[in-house]
Amino acid sequence: MPAGLVLVIVVGALLLAMVGNADSTLRKSEGKPRNAEWRTEVAQKVASVSDFLHLTSPRTAVDEAMGRHAEAKPESIDDLLAQQQQAAAGDGGSTDTTVDLATLTPKLRTPTQAEPLKLWVGGDSVTETFGTSMVRISESTGLFKGILDFHVSTGLAVPSYFNWPEHLVKDVIPNDDPDIVVIMFGANDGQNIKTDDGKVLERFSPEWYTEYQSRVGKTMDLLRSPDNDRLVMWLGPPPMGPSTKTHGMDRISYAAWTESKSRPWVDYVDTWPFFSNADLQFVHSLPNADGEVRGMRQKDDIHMSTVGGDRLAWVVMADLGTHIDLAATKVPSPPLSQIAPPTVKERDEIPESVPGAI
Amino acid sequence: MLFPTIDFAIFFLVVFTGSWLLRPHRLAWKLFILASSFFFYGYWFSERSNLPLASILAFTIIVNWAFGKATYNAMTPEGERTERSRWLVRAAVVVDLGVLAYFKYVNFFLSSFTERLSSIGVHVSDPTVSVLLPIGISFFTFQAISYVIDIGRGVWREPVPLLDFAVYLSFFAHLIAGPIVRASEFVPQLEAQPDPRFVQTSEAFMLIFRGLFKKVVISSYMATIVDPVFALPHGASRWEVLWAIYAYAIQIYADFSGYTDMAIGIALLLGIRFPQNFDAPYRSLSVQDFWRRWHMTLSRWLRDYLYIPLGGNRGSEWFTFRNLFLTMVIGGLWHGANWTFVVWGALQGGFLVAERIVKDKWAERGPIGLPSQLVRALQWLLTFNFICFAWVFFRAPNFSDATDVIGRLFSGGGSATLITPLLIIVVIAMLASQFVPERVPAQVTEKFAQLAPVLQILALGAGMVLIDALGPEGIAPFIYFQF
Repeated sequence: MPAGLVLVIVVGALLLAMVGNADSTLRKSEGKPRNAEWRTEVAQKVASVSDFLHLTSPRTAVDEAMGRHAEAKPESIDDLLAQQQQAAAGDGGSTDTTVDLATLTPKLRTPTQAEPLKLWVGGDSVTETFGTSMVRISESTGLFKGILDFHVSTGLAVPSYFNWPEHLVKDVIPNDDPDIVVIMFGANDGQNIKTDDGKVLERFSPEWYTEYQSRVGKTMDLLRSPDNDRLVMWLGPPPMGPSTKTHGMDRISYAAWTESKSRPWVDYVDTWPFFSNADLQFVHSLPNADGEVRGMRQKDDIHMSTVGGDRLAWVVMADLGTHIDLAATKVPSPPLSQIAPPTVKERDEIPESVPGAI
Repeated sequence: MLFPTIDFAIFFLVVFTGSWLLRPHRLAWKLFILASSFFFYGYWFSERSNLPLASILAFTIIVNWAFGKATYNAMTPEGERTERSRWLVRAAVVVDLGVLAYFKYVNFFLSSFTERLSSIGVHVSDPTVSVLLPIGISFFTFQAISYVIDIGRGVWREPVPLLDFAVYLSFFAHLIAGPIVRASEFVPQLEAQPDPRFVQTSEAFMLIFRGLFKKVVISSYMATIVDPVFALPHGASRWEVLWAIYAYAIQIYADFSGYTDMAIGIALLLGIRFPQNFDAPYRSLSVQDFWRRWHMTLSRWLRDYLYIPLGGNRGSEWFTFRNLFLTMVIGGLWHGANWTFVVWGALQGGFLVAERIVKDKWAERGPIGLPSQLVRALQWLLTFNFICFAWVFFRAPNFSDATDVIGRLFSGGGSATLITPLLIIVVIAMLASQFVPERVPAQVTEKFAQLAPVLQILALGAGMVLIDALGPEGIAPFIYFQF
């Protein structure tokens, strides 16, 4: 076949695929972390034209046949909260939002080997290694049954890619019914936010922070148990390596800490000091309590190494001990080779930003 | 840029057009392909501010070309080796492996060394250094080594010009994950003048589509059980672990052979033919047969540039066994800086040796009276399950996780929620596809070639829509890119 005709065929087929997959391409473009804006704009225009001409119909039909709802918009947090309140009212619970906060302090039963507490760990890919450590270490006590549920490239900024609030309310709570929720977001949230009314908020702008913090707070609300028998441990993201372009983790930590202060069922876990030096700057390797320096992060300086995951898991275990009476049980002491030196502690106050952090 | 992306589609349209327009002008065409390949390579780094790493490719090109030329000049006019030419080849190999070792293995060796020191009571602080692995380095380094060795062996009677060598080593279609093409296969094609009126489209389109389907649909779908089970083996039941292991066998085949299919198809559209890299490996009746069908260009590289120089089978039986075993262990380590790859290579080598011993014993013993079909079925079952078992070490991030996975096979209770009827069907269908006669895809290709251009556009466009619909949202990098 002549090369010119091949070019026509290839261009024709690609154009056909482009208009046929326009909606899917737009979703992917919007869902990509740190995506170039022009890509989304081009994808938006192609999708508009394709939808207008009904060129996406075959693809939509395939999606529907497969049980995928290509057109379905992610359910907003406000809708989910409203549904939850309605359900609580239907169950005879109170929808009064002016309750005494002190009464919302979670009361967890004392776990036993026969009846362990269900500990659910979730978040983005940074949670993978940490969550694996968390499940392993918590289960080693015999007092917890761990569940790890991480989703790569996700967060709270782009629910059209993965809707965490919806997943928590419709999958995690009804199916797993965790007593303890350990959750961490942030690494993929440094991107523009599209609000429910279609407005695009430029990442890290003041409006962006307001919206992001609001989403964090509402997600915390969604996780509250009406019976006050669930503890939410919200982990701020650790600092990221300077070459990662994963910015703003200090501001995201501040947002989560701020929201947690008014919610007694949420315990904010400050991960930052455990992955930084004395000046709170990112470092790849750190000494553990035994004095030996180990790599805390993977090569990408974003994800944690197994050592880093273990170190953080013991921090969370220590925090858990302040909520649950573990002293009466035979919980083993953490090995010095896995925990941070005693001088490293969570901060009492989380600053709005950390000087020098990316 | 990954092959199944819009970025690559745009890049390829430009390269395809420019390539065929410039093909009659050899110098301009070669410069264009070289520039395109470096753009393709640099694209991987531009997002990470590590563009200078692309210079490693340029360094490898210049250094190996210079070694090739010096080696040739050091040989006798009759093309016989001299002591000087031998030393030059050795020096080239040392330089190439030195660069590879630094980027790929420095932290592995440092951490292994400190662990050993630690085990005898000497504690040193973490010596790991921050090194980013230049993508594709294992592949282009092996190609560069083969070129210099071939000159030293007299395979090349004359070194190729620097531009030809640069195009050979950097050609974007094989740059990132092979196939490992030899200069003797590639360079003569640079001088050929393919007729732009006869582009081999049907075969190329079929290869690209087969590759896309395997990567986007099959490999991604297998990840739905493989990833969670290998991430947290003690949370999986024994049946989930078993099917995750089988699924990984399918996933890595679909992923890597899918990439290779696309690479071969893309090169074919530009008038370049690559050697075959996979030949239905899961139909193998022995591990030896498997290595003749799996990553064939690596297997022959290991044979020609490692096994034979080690002495091959030119010695006692145990000498041959040693060479086989060493070749597979080193081949395992080539895949990555991790003891799991060493174990994987050792398992392959050990089984190859065991297979030879058993075969020899059986040959002495004569037929055992079982129907040949049954014997073949048992051989297939044993080979496939051994290969799958070895993949556990290939996939697991560390030795401890690998043993956890294997341990769960025998102790893992609980439900098997990750196993779905569709998963079982896809695994079985992919295995069955290995037994499809070669004439069937050839017939499909022929039928496609007979379609009118408009129908070809419709078929290809609809195929891409369907593949995108069946695949997940977002394409994971190819597994073999990490090697």
